[in-house]
Amino acid sequence: MMSEETISFITPFDSGYPERLKNIPDAPAGLYIGGRLPEDTEIAVAVVGARECSEYGRYVAQKLGAFLGENKVTVVSGMARGIDGISQWAALEAGGTSIGVLGCGPDICYPAQNRKLYDRLLRQGAVLSEYALGTPPKPAHFPARNRIVSGLSDAVVVVEAREKSGTLITVDMALEQGREVFVVPGRITDSLSDGCNRLIRQGAGILLSPRELLTELQELKHRTKERDRGETETEKKKKRACKVEKRQTDVSPEEKALQKEPDMGKEIISERFSREMSAVYQALDFYPRSLAQIMAFMPDRSAISQRQVLSQLMRLCMEGKAVQVSSGYFCRSGQDR
Amino acid sequence: MYSMVFTGALQGVYAYLVSVETDISSGLPTLNLVGSPSQETREAKERVRVALHNIGLRLPPAHITVNLSPANRRKDGTAFDLAIAAGLLEAMDKIPRGAVENTLFLGELGLDGEVKGVPGVLPIVREAALQGIGQCIVPYVNGREGALVPDINVRGVPDLKTLLDFLLAETSKEKDEILPVISSEAGKAFLCPPDAKIPDFSEVVGQETAKRGAEIAAAGFHHLLMVGPPGAGKSMIARRICGIMPPLTMEESLELTSIVSVSGLMKEGEAMITGRPFQAPHHTITQTAFIGGSMVPRPGMISLAHRGVLFLDELTEFQRAVLDSLRQPLEEHQVQIARVGGTVTYPSDFMMVCAMNPCPCGYYPDRDRCRCTQPQIRRYMGKVSGPILDRIDLCVALEAVDIASLKEKEKGESSRAVRERVMRARKRQEERFLGTPYRFNADIDVADMERFCHLGKKEHRCMEELYHSLGLSLRSYHRILKVARTIADLEAAEKIEMEHLLEAASYRPAQEYWM
Repeated sequence: MMSEETISFITPFDSGYPERLKNIPDAPAGLYIGGRLPEDTEIAVAVVGARECSEYGRYVAQKLGAFLGENKVTVVSGMARGIDGISQWAALEAGGTSIGVLGCGPDICYPAQNRKLYDRLLRQGAVLSEYALGTPPKPAHFPARNRIVSGLSDAVVVVEAREKSGTLITVDMALEQGREVFVVPGRITDSLSDGCNRLIRQGAGILLSPRELLTELQELKHRTKERDRGETETEKKKKRACKVEKRQTDVSPEEKALQKEPDMGKEIISERFSREMSAVYQALDFYPRSLAQIMAFMPDRSAISQRQVLSQLMRLCMEGKAVQVSSGYFCRSGQDR
Repeated sequence: MYSMVFTGALQGVYAYLVSVETDISSGLPTLNLVGSPSQETREAKERVRVALHNIGLRLPPAHITVNLSPANRRKDGTAFDLAIAAGLLEAMDKIPRGAVENTLFLGELGLDGEVKGVPGVLPIVREAALQGIGQCIVPYVNGREGALVPDINVRGVPDLKTLLDFLLAETSKEKDEILPVISSEAGKAFLCPPDAKIPDFSEVVGQETAKRGAEIAAAGFHHLLMVGPPGAGKSMIARRICGIMPPLTMEESLELTSIVSVSGLMKEGEAMITGRPFQAPHHTITQTAFIGGSMVPRPGMISLAHRGVLFLDELTEFQRAVLDSLRQPLEEHQVQIARVGGTVTYPSDFMMVCAMNPCPCGYYPDRDRCRCTQPQIRRYMGKVSGPILDRIDLCVALEAVDIASLKEKEKGESSRAVRERVMRARKRQEERFLGTPYRFNADIDVADMERFCHLGKKEHRCMEELYHSLGLSLRSYHRILKVARTIADLEAAEKIEMEHLLEAASYRPAQEYWM
C-alpha cells in the first residue's frame, strides 16, 4: 500500500484538474491522483476492451499501446485485465505515459495481478480515482469510472468487445461527452468482436492502422484549437489544407522513423525459419486452433506428419511467435517477446 | 479327546496359518470358541453345530473348547467353519485319527451343510504350500483359484457330507473319486486371452493427440491427464488403455488375484485375474473406499487397480482429501493403512488416468462458446491439489467432435498394433533398468536423470531454450525429460533427440500455461 502523501486530491477549482474532464456532464467533484497527470495539451486516447481477450486483441492492444506511447500520446484506460492493462503496459514500455482510472480507492491495486503496472503508473504516469482512499472495488463503481476514462480522452478506441460488454458503457459515455469513437474491426464469426462490429454498423470510426488514428487525432486537436480561437469556416479550411500539405512534406526522417507504422499481423516470419516452420506459422491464427485444425490448414498435408507439425509448433513457441493455450491448442502470439 | 487341524487367515493380502485345536472333555455341556474371534467368526459355533446336526451328527453333551491359534491375532471372516467342523469330527472320533493330517481346510458352512465360497483362497493356499502342507480342501467354487498354486493338492468340496465321506474313505483311490484333486492345468486353462473384454482403440475416431498420449503413458507407465470438452471421448480412451498395456505376467497376475480375492470380489468360478484392472470410481467416493480401510483394513480402489488403470473422471469434483490421500501410494506404489484391527500394507501400483473439463463450462479455449473468466478458470483448476498434478507427466487435450467427422474418418489403429510398440518400449526399459530399483521411465528419480536421460550438446541447448522461453519449472523440466525418454523408446532410439524433447514439451502439464 502506498503512503498517503504521494496521493493528491484536487477539485475542479484547482489548477491541476484536467481541462477535458471539466466539460463532461457529471464531472467528478474531486479526484485522488497518484503519480503525475500529463499536460492538458497532450493528446490522450482511451484504449478499452474485453478482459478475456483473444490473442488478436492482445496483439492489437500491444501494438497500438506501443505506437501511441512512442508518439507521446497518453493512453487512458481502466487498468483491468486484458486489453486495458496490455495497452497501458505497452505504452509505458515504449516510453510513453498512461493514466489508470480505478473503480476503487487510488491506494488499492485492483486487479491485484496488475501490481507491476500499478507501480509503474505511479512512477511513469498516473493513477486516478474519484473514490476516497481505502474504498474497496465494487461492481457499481466501474460504470461510473468509465465516464472518467472517456472524459479524460480525446478519443476512445475499442479493441475487442462482446455484444454485451461493459466496454460499451464507456462508448456510450464517450458519445455523450462528444468524444470520437474508433473501433478495431473483427471477423463476424468471432464473438469477441461482435460488440465492435455492431459499433461500426452504428457509424463508429474504423481503426485500420495506429498511424491513421494518430493523424486523425492530430487534426482533431488542431480543429478544436481553431474552433476555440473562433476562426471562420473558410479560414479554417484553408489552414487545414496547408497544414496537411505541410505535414506531408515537412516530416523529418527522425520523425518518420518514430512514426513507423507497426505492421498489423502481416509480418513475414523471419528468414531464418525453415519453409516448414513458415508453413506451420501460416496455418496459425490469432484464435486458438487445435492440432487437427492446424493440420487441416497445412498446404500439403501429405508432406508433413502431425508429429512434425507439433515439433514445429513447439519451435514457434520457443521463438515467441506462437503460444500454446492448452495442450494441443496453439495460436499466434499476440505479444512480442 | 483332542484334535488339531490347519486353516489360514489373512492380514492384508498376506496369509498366515492358523491351527484349530479342539478338545472335548467332561463338564457342563457347552461349545466355547476362543482365540480372538470377531463377531462373525464367533458365530461359527452355531453354523458348525447345526450343519453337523443336519448331516446326522450330534455334538456330545460335553465341555467342548475350540481354540484358534495364534490366539493373540484377531480372526475375521467365516472361512474357519470348515476347519472347526473337521476338528470336531476328529475329536468326536467320527473319522479315523490322522485323516486330517497335513491338510488345510477353508470354507464357510451353511446350516444345511453346504460349503460356501470365501475370499482370500489364493494367498492362503500359497502360504500353505510355502509351509509345506500337502493338501488343501477349499470350497468347490474356489477350487480353480486354489489350484493355481503349484506343489500342493487342492480339492474343492461342495458340502459337509461329501467331506465326511472323503475323510472316511480308506484308500487314496477312493478319496480321489469322492473329491478329485483339481489339476493346476485346469486352472491355467481358465486364463482368458488378455484383450477379450477390453474395447479396441480402432473404435476411437480422431483425437490423435490423446491417443498418442495414451500410448506414451502406457509405454512409460506415466500418469496421464486428459482435458477436453464434455463428450469428446475421454472415458472412451481411458477404457481402452488397458488393452495397449502388455499382458499381465504370472507374478503380477497372482499379486492382483490375491488383492481381489482378499476383498471378496472374485466372481464365482473365476480362478484368476488375468486382465489388467480398470477401476473408475465415481467422484463421490469416500477416502476409505478409495484407499482402503474399515475396522479390518480391506483393499480400496487404488489397490484393486494394482498393475492397471485407475481412472478418475471429473477430477475436479473429487473431494480434496480423497485426492490428497493418493500422495503416498503414488510415491511408494503401496499403501499402508492402520486401523484397530491392525496395520496392513496393500500394493497399489497403478497408472493414474485423469479426465477433466478445461473450465467450468467445458469449452475453453473456444472463446466463441466459453465465457469463463480467468479467475473462474483459475479457481476451477485450483480444485485439484498441486501435489497430485505434479505427479502427472503427460497432459493431452481432446477436441469436441462433430457428427460429420465421425462419418468421414477411417478407422484408427488397432489396440494390438499399439500394444506391440508399447511392449517393445517396455522391453528397452527393462534392459536399461536392469539392476536398478526402477522399472519404468516414469520412476526415474531426479538424481538419476543424467544417467538415464542423457542429452547431447544440441539437445541440451534446446532444453535450456525451452526452459527459458516456456517458463518451465524445474519439476516439469524433469518430467519432459522422462516423457522424451519414453518417446525415444517407442521409436527405438538410443538417444533422446530434439523431436522427442519438443513433442514431450507439448504435453507438459496444463497449469503451466493455463492463463
